[in-house]
Amino acid sequence: MTFEDTDFRQETLDLANPFDVKLVKGFLRELGFEFEPGEVECTMIVYNLKGELVGTGSHQGRILKYVAVSPKFRDTTAFALIVTYMTEKLLKIYKHTFVFTRPENSIRFCGLGFNEIATSPPLFALLEFGFESISTYQDYLKTLIRPTQTGVIAAIVVNCNPFTNGHKFLIEKAASENELVYLFVVEEDLSAFPFDVRWELIRKGISHLENVVMVRGGMYIVSGSIFPSYFLKNETISDVMQKQAELDVQIFADYVVPVLGIKGRYVGTEKYCATTAAYNQAMKRILPSVGVEIVEVMRKVATTGTSKLPIFISASNIRRAIKNDSLDEMMEFLPDSTREFLYSDESLAIRQKIKSSVGRH
Amino acid sequence: MKPKIPAQAGTFESSDVIVLIEPLPDKAGRKIEISSSVMQQFGESFTKIVIDLLDQFEMTDIHLIAKDKGALEPTIKARLETAIKRSLDLQEGTLKQ
Repeated sequence: MTFEDTDFRQETLDLANPFDVKLVKGFLRELGFEFEPGEVECTMIVYNLKGELVGTGSHQGRILKYVAVSPKFRDTTAFALIVTYMTEKLLKIYKHTFVFTRPENSIRFCGLGFNEIATSPPLFALLEFGFESISTYQDYLKTLIRPTQTGVIAAIVVNCNPFTNGHKFLIEKAASENELVYLFVVEEDLSAFPFDVRWELIRKGISHLENVVMVRGGMYIVSGSIFPSYFLKNETISDVMQKQAELDVQIFADYVVPVLGIKGRYVGTEKYCATTAAYNQAMKRILPSVGVEIVEVMRKVATTGTSKLPIFISASNIRRAIKNDSLDEMMEFLPDSTREFLYSDESLAIRQKIKSSVGRH
Repeated sequence: MKPKIPAQAGTFESSDVIVLIEPLPDKAGRKIEISSSVMQQFGESFTKIVIDLLDQFEMTDIHLIAKDKGALEPTIKARLETAIKRSLDLQEGTLKQ
């Protein structure tokens, strides 16, 4: 008779120590992971008293990463032990945790009590666990529902970094063509303009539109957790980015559309940015199947600057102008709320941040 | 009493139960989410154990999540009691800062 050795010990690694990094890197490489210490905040390992490495788990923010158990120990409690350790740590800080894993591993986390929110085969499945869940977000959405006569309801998702006349034009067009418009504002604070500022500029800028309801994007609409590529500087569309975009749109289709009864989604045509182009592509693939029509609106053109050539209005142009101190040329692009803000001392810190940054946001 | 801090006790392992507690705003009452791999056979008694123990500690304004993997009654009670005491800041968790 053999006895299972389940006397597991757990320890947090010191990621500043190259020996610790080498240990977990070597372990994960055998299991087909390429461990990047820069992509995690904290890593823990589980080992037994014979000195065998049993498994490991890491996290970055509220996302669990690199959770792996050596094949020899897969029928033990090691996996549950690692996930318990991580959730105990994370739920002290956050309301809930996310897991990205390959769809075939999704069942392992479901077995522990995680709920699968969406999958984008063959690369990703997204699961969550904690005090809050996507139904908490749906409850929030339900508090915003406004009754309509015709049911002609559209949605727009904007980051508005910052709010431009292009956004305003898109919102006004949607408002004139629909009885009700839900305007989702990306909540993640990974952009140059913080959420509160973006929200305020939009609110002031569209106060004349009675049938537009502003909605916080929360953790699920273009969030840094689900769609990290959006906030990175990317020039080309990669598979990973495309799949992340699909995951994001899938969540919108499955959890937001039915609650609010959305029938159309307005987007601007994308000329400059590969990430947004990938996102638009994902929408065209997924949304028609849940009865949402995509309305692509030609970007508004403004003639401005010294060249007098038509330029498409885009928030990235505004940020570039701030960086190059040529904001005066962009007057035509800016609605009153944004113009006042950018020429006030309030925006000084933000402008300086943009000047010193090199990224896309 | 009402919880002071979020707390967790138990594990995701088989024959165990994981209990999460977080404080709710004043006068919010109790919000209890219970799930079990043996809900059909033992769901009723599991729910009763949870509510009885919350009554015993007179807990209110509490959000409790319990995910059970077939734990025995003493285990469930122990995990609940630990989670409650941790949430009241009477007992430390296993993770040291």
